[in-house]
Amino acid sequence: MSDDLKIVGLLCNWCCYGGADTAGTARMQYPPNVRIIRVMCSGRINPSMIFKAFDEGADGVFVGGCHIGDCHYDAGNYKWSRRSKIVEDILEEFGIEKERFRHEWISASEGEKFQTTMEEFHKTLTKLGPLELK
Amino acid sequence: MSYVLAKSKDEEIHKAGECGGAVTSIFKYLLDEGLVDGVLALRPCDDVYDGVPTLITNSEDLIGTAGSYHCAPTMVGDLIQKYLIDKKIAVSVKPCDIRSIDELIKRHKINPDNLYTIGLNCGGTVSPVSGRKMIDLFYEANPDDVISEEIDKGQFIIELADGSEEAVKIHDLEEKGYGRRNNCQRCDVKIPRKANLACGNWGAEDGWTFIEINDEKGQELIDGAKKAGILETKSPSDAAVEGRSKVENIMIKMAKKNQDATYPSVNGIDDWSRCISCYACRDICPICWCYENCELNKSYFDEKDIPPSPIAFQGVRLSHMSFSCCDCGQCDDVCPMDIPVSLIFDKLQKKYCNRTGYVAGVSTDSKPPLYSPDKVEL
Repeated sequence: MSDDLKIVGLLCNWCCYGGADTAGTARMQYPPNVRIIRVMCSGRINPSMIFKAFDEGADGVFVGGCHIGDCHYDAGNYKWSRRSKIVEDILEEFGIEKERFRHEWISASEGEKFQTTMEEFHKTLTKLGPLELK
Repeated sequence: MSYVLAKSKDEEIHKAGECGGAVTSIFKYLLDEGLVDGVLALRPCDDVYDGVPTLITNSEDLIGTAGSYHCAPTMVGDLIQKYLIDKKIAVSVKPCDIRSIDELIKRHKINPDNLYTIGLNCGGTVSPVSGRKMIDLFYEANPDDVISEEIDKGQFIIELADGSEEAVKIHDLEEKGYGRRNNCQRCDVKIPRKANLACGNWGAEDGWTFIEINDEKGQELIDGAKKAGILETKSPSDAAVEGRSKVENIMIKMAKKNQDATYPSVNGIDDWSRCISCYACRDICPICWCYENCELNKSYFDEKDIPPSPIAFQGVRLSHMSFSCCDCGQCDDVCPMDIPVSLIFDKLQKKYCNRTGYVAGVSTDSKPPLYSPDKVEL
């Protein structure tokens, strides 16, 4: 039942959230499974948020931020990119496939990239099936 | 960095201390000169298995701290941060102690100017409970009769009240599941080079302590103690320096071998199902310093289930401090359910090290790369 898949999307206000908006206003179709949470910067996302999402039933977590060099707060996305590596390492230890956690740089004008990324991510998760935490 | 051999000129300390009592003499010098308010060192309480970190303020009491206590796997990092933050103190540190102190300094939780650190080379510690059992099983002695113990040349040596000694190879003990604690067996930091001085018997002649002077503060200590007439020094021969690095390399090689053997490819998640949510591992951790403010107790995270979901409980802790884990093994020791907590934390720190080259409490970075404001990707 791939329609039941839950994706939590944490999107940066300045770029990726705008990208999702662009996709929406242009009527681009993307999987409705993603629940978007707007944050001010990808740099304010801490690993606990990812773990809590998985713990409470998300099958996949997506994080979208500004392209490197475009951060509204100068270096937030660098911080996130370093943090994401730790998240990957930790998820692996708890038996969560690393494909279930994805992050991408998407600018406000890249509605199409948001669409294709969501479609790809949804496809990957459909293949993996619902997450069963031990 | 330079090397020196030292021993105490004080008759009493020389006799009571290990390897000539150089460390105790340096403490005595610091207290007598009023350079510090107190000395934090281990003092045996009931027997040799019961070393208690004690703040000594009178130099006459120092004699009680002389000698080595391998069966007292204590940790001083959090003690200093919690209780001695505004005092000037001198402290004896194992490599994991100085690593935790270094991580706390990076977090502005300890002021390095208030601290003299006398490092002790460490081949590993033994848990007091399994230590007693081990002596009961493998030695002909009664554990209560042991008056001192020492680790030398790959052997665990005990000395009895009548002066007789007994030694068993540590390798043999560990094959049977005794010997050093698990985290010590895989620890590859044997010489505390971040401390002002690193002292030990490796490479030293009998009755002398081999000291590696790590920084200017360390040099001042040695010069001062010499001037005060309490310490006698000489330079070590090239053979001694070489012998010492040989011992260190053998130790590190052994540790690396144990690392390959003890890190499971996918961590045994089954262990976490025994967790009873007592938070002892968090409370004892020298790196975890948030206390009341801990994310685990926030209303949006407080786990009511027992066992807690591993990813929500240990996952949060891992993401907060695993990159700074100094593998002191305190979490293993306090866990009432015997979960090998430190194994996964140390594994994650090794992974982090592979990515960034950052070794907790050893690297000279001003803070862990995760905290850095620099514009770098991993």
